[in-house]
Amino acid sequence: MTDALKITDLSKTFPVGRSLFGNPTGTVKAVHPLTLTVLQGETLGIVGESGCGKSTLARMLVGLLEPSTGHIEIEGAALDNADPAEFGKRIQYVFQDPISSLNPRKTIRQIMEAPLKLLHNMPAAERSRRISEIFASVNLREEFLDRYPHEFSGGQAQRIGIARALAAKARILILDEPVSALDVSVQAQVLNLLADLRREFDLTYLFISHDLAVVEAVSDRIAVLYFGSVVEVGPAEEVFAAPKHPYTKLLADSAPVVGRPLTAPEAEGTELPDPLNPPSGCAFAARCPNATDKCRSETPRLAPLGKGTTVACFHPILD
Amino acid sequence: MTAFFVLLARNRLALLGGIVLACVVFLALITPILPLADPDVTNTSNRFQPVFLDGALLGTDHLGRDLLSRVMWGTRLSLAVGFAAAIAAATIGAAIGIIAGYYGGRTDNIIMRGVDMLMAFPYILLALAIVAALGPGLFNALIAVAAVNVPFFARNIRGITVGIANKEFVDAARLAGMSNSRIILSEILPNVIPVIVIAMSTTIGWMILETAGLSFLGLGSQPPQADLGSMLGEARSALITNPHTSIVPGIMILIIVMSINLLGDGVRDALDPRLKSGALSRPMAATRVDRAETPPAASGVGLLEVKALETQFHVKNRIYRAVGGVDLHVEKGECLGIIGESGSGKSVTALSIMGLVASPPGVITGGAAYYDGEDLIGAPYRRLRDMRGRNVSYIFQDPLATLHPLYRVGDQLIEAIRAHRPIGKAEGRAKAIELLKAVRIPNAEKRINDYPHEMSGGMRQRVGIAMALANDPDIIIADEPTTALDVTVQAQVLTILDELRRSRGLAIVFITHDFGVVAQLCDRVAVMYAGRIVEEGATTDILDAPRHPYTARLMACVPELGGGKRRLEAIPGLPPVVDKLPEGCAFAERCDRVQPDCRSGGIALVRKDGRGVRCVHPVDTREAAE
Amino acid sequence: MTGYILKRLLSAIPVLFGITVIVFLIMAMIPGDPATAILGNFATPENVEKLNRDLGLGKPLVQQYFIWLSNMLSGDFGTSFALNRPVLDEVLERFNATLVLAGTAFVLCSFLGVIAGVISAANQYGAADKGITFVVLLGISIPSFFLGMMMILFFAVNLRWFPVSGMWPIYGDRTLGVLLSHLAMPATALAVVATGVIARLSRSAMLEVLRQDFIRTARAKGVHERGVIWRHALKAAMVSIIPVLGIQAGFVLSGAVYIEIVFQWPGVGRMLVDAILKRDILMVQGGVVFVAACYVLFNIAVDVAQSLLDPRIKT
Repeated sequence: MTDALKITDLSKTFPVGRSLFGNPTGTVKAVHPLTLTVLQGETLGIVGESGCGKSTLARMLVGLLEPSTGHIEIEGAALDNADPAEFGKRIQYVFQDPISSLNPRKTIRQIMEAPLKLLHNMPAAERSRRISEIFASVNLREEFLDRYPHEFSGGQAQRIGIARALAAKARILILDEPVSALDVSVQAQVLNLLADLRREFDLTYLFISHDLAVVEAVSDRIAVLYFGSVVEVGPAEEVFAAPKHPYTKLLADSAPVVGRPLTAPEAEGTELPDPLNPPSGCAFAARCPNATDKCRSETPRLAPLGKGTTVACFHPILD
Repeated sequence: MTAFFVLLARNRLALLGGIVLACVVFLALITPILPLADPDVTNTSNRFQPVFLDGALLGTDHLGRDLLSRVMWGTRLSLAVGFAAAIAAATIGAAIGIIAGYYGGRTDNIIMRGVDMLMAFPYILLALAIVAALGPGLFNALIAVAAVNVPFFARNIRGITVGIANKEFVDAARLAGMSNSRIILSEILPNVIPVIVIAMSTTIGWMILETAGLSFLGLGSQPPQADLGSMLGEARSALITNPHTSIVPGIMILIIVMSINLLGDGVRDALDPRLKSGALSRPMAATRVDRAETPPAASGVGLLEVKALETQFHVKNRIYRAVGGVDLHVEKGECLGIIGESGSGKSVTALSIMGLVASPPGVITGGAAYYDGEDLIGAPYRRLRDMRGRNVSYIFQDPLATLHPLYRVGDQLIEAIRAHRPIGKAEGRAKAIELLKAVRIPNAEKRINDYPHEMSGGMRQRVGIAMALANDPDIIIADEPTTALDVTVQAQVLTILDELRRSRGLAIVFITHDFGVVAQLCDRVAVMYAGRIVEEGATTDILDAPRHPYTARLMACVPELGGGKRRLEAIPGLPPVVDKLPEGCAFAERCDRVQPDCRSGGIALVRKDGRGVRCVHPVDTREAAE
Repeated sequence: MTGYILKRLLSAIPVLFGITVIVFLIMAMIPGDPATAILGNFATPENVEKLNRDLGLGKPLVQQYFIWLSNMLSGDFGTSFALNRPVLDEVLERFNATLVLAGTAFVLCSFLGVIAGVISAANQYGAADKGITFVVLLGISIPSFFLGMMMILFFAVNLRWFPVSGMWPIYGDRTLGVLLSHLAMPATALAVVATGVIARLSRSAMLEVLRQDFIRTARAKGVHERGVIWRHALKAAMVSIIPVLGIQAGFVLSGAVYIEIVFQWPGVGRMLVDAILKRDILMVQGGVVFVAACYVLFNIAVDVAQSLLDPRIKT
């Protein structure tokens, strides 16, 4: 398998505050230098809690946000210029809130036509044929094309969002919490549709979510993000079943599971570090039961640990 | 568009304003062809003629000019100048605002600094300075009025544009390959135009007043030409001796501006989507109760017993039956889970108990909620208020939105106590600290002085729980208290709730959509679908062997951690909209076990051995256990 | 807190600077020879020469500006040729009168407007709401100068409750009572429009806040409805009302120009209009800069009030 997406040392720093002369008074590192590879045809799940930088990462990957450092390579070609139109042909984005990702004053047809016309200069007749094809593959009726976004339910709107991403003919989709705004009974429909489309069009997915169970159910591999850094990457069936990083274990133990008694897996009142004033060393050290002085002074780097798993921890959990 | 005019016409005041304005504009347009005296011909022998005199219906002014004619021509002029100034200011202001708002960053900074600079003047000073430089005259007054209003439009439109430019559909347009100018024209502008129209329709009247004002000061239209403002200005010296020369143009301005304002308000209301949906109405202190029938009597089970509760939302002519006859009860010290998807009526059920459903549009149309034998639904507001927080208290979903942003958390806790009994300052503080300690907030003595925004989501929700505990209630109703929290924080908060319930013997009604949470926390569970309970029973029984097909399928379609990569059992279709529920079973449309008899008649919740199912063909126990 | 005030004061410097630039540029638009334009009927050769020297006229625009600015910073706003008096002296004297009038009107409209708005919102669609809405609509539709004239006609001429015009009687004592009787009509006429605008905005801000979740929390705690409206909702609504009060202060100051003319109030607005009509350019320039600077300072006070109310504003 080839690499569909390769990112090297990608990071993003945001300026914060404003002094009298409009200069920023400080910076926040939303994404620490991050290196990841996504294979052609695979689904890489990215999990993390709020504030872990997963949305910032996603927006950099489609060119909506310029990275502070690092490189993005898509299907072998480097794309560092943060030009969404250039990215758009290769990589597309499916948004979390399906309704607000559709312009309320345009018909679905107008929304669907934009990428075909602007990215691929497709003539009108061909556009209409292509839209019909795509609509068929996402199980939407063609009569929907002349309606406006507010006439659709969340699930339908999300299918339209997926159809729009497919229209750009991109082979990599960034799915940013694609089902978290949907009801559970509709969520499964969309997840299954995504699985079918992946097979049908040989797509590569980057599936971002805070819902561990959903990520586990759809991904081949999972990367766990904490405070802007990847702390663990591994095969989906192992990451939560046999976590190596203490944070991954904390996540897995916190998820409410039927048949498991309620226990707080963690001491009281532990919180995320202050992004304006990040700790030295491992960001998780303050919450970690295994932390040592080394953890508090040195930053662990991702290192292989067993088959296909990499962990950024000095004291990984070994079976 | 048609919808807009229908909406506008339905607003009677706006219609009145529109008709009056249309008449005035029409008269102004045809003024040149009306048989009126020349407005500028003076006849000093005929000066200050009173109204209703032959030959001069509205009398004459200090130079003997016909007032009717002058008012008509003046109206023409005032309207033209006012509209021109409004259009000029709106166009220029909107263009500046859109550019600043869309491009942001440095462009925005520079433009908005300039706008701030202009807004630092009381507007008339700027207008006076401009007129002073250009010299008095109607056209110069128009320029001055338009110029001083540009910053107001620019700032307003910029704010709206920033909001739209951050919407996801603009990102999507970028990814579809649109250039900035195309995005502005096809994505931003169509969404901003309603706001521009609103801003314009509500400021035209103001613009007319301002130009009239400059003319009144003698800085606008110059004699002999007169607009309404300069007519007033000229008449001022004869105010006491001949008031009608002042009253005539003054009333005319009042009529014009008032009709424009009425119409403008109508336009605003018709274009504002929030008003359309009735979302801007104020919720009353307690939900409106309008029960057609006498509610069923209490049967005496449980501390809190809800009987045949029906709550509806009346929006325009539609009636949404959010809760369509719910029975449930909770015992002392018991935790009852209510589970369902959004729109299933679970939250509305919970909020109805203490009359906290927003009303309008909510109305409780039937049933009762008995607390210790006393019906809360029918209780007078004073009694209800007295019991809120003291006997039954609530914990809500989003802890940032549910705490008052401008009061310290300690003060909000003390207020919760003080609402029910007088308490001194020191005692209140001590009690607040004690409450924060009860929910295990570290460093409670210091955190009591925090504002909500200074706390993390988990800490805020602990404050929410502490507030619910303030008066030692018997029942806590928790409406999705952990949905907005991260999993690790959720685990902490759930543990606290569980321990509190055991140590204090609290009854909890826990509303959620998460089976995992229900399994860990609740003794019994009720599953809701389309406003009704479809299944209820002991948590373990239901989770082990669901009998209603909806419960079974809902559980199957939620992935559970530890299952690995797999295909999910999706439920086809959508939940029904509660303003047109089908006859029979609401789930029939999506159910794979559906039979013809599912679609007719009312289907009752059949209770047996502490287990209730609302289904004609339930999954039998053996099947369900598999 | 002091840090925040200091920061806001510092940030006012560029704004004040910008104000002088704008005024200077507008005045530079006056066609013809500047000295003759400024002097008008007083353009004797000596006067023209003196003015050219004082203001650096004829030099490049940038240099002219800085000469003008440094003159102003040293307290020299120039001399009014029409009044033959230093501009600053005249402005200061007149500004006092304006402050009394506009200040009273501002206090009046803030209180009445906010209270009317709260009552209106608390009784949405009720009789009180409809009544207030109608009065407010009438208030924002009537030209203040026309209202002032009608008040004179009715209350001063017909009923003889108040004096027709002026700030002080020509003869007699200058007591507070006398001032108030002179002030009553102009201050009311001036406050009407702003009261309407503030009432409208307060009503919609209150309606917005009353739908918020924290209001439901207060009710769930068992707080009295009175407390919900006046303690919880109004405090939150003030966050959006206070900036509008700042803007309305500017409108009150603006409206004072008309009212001062109608009621012969010896304020800075009437002075400015007279100066424009007499083409007393230095007077206009100085008056505009002075009043605008005071308004900037007032707005800083508004910002400080806002930061005291809202802890989310970083101090």
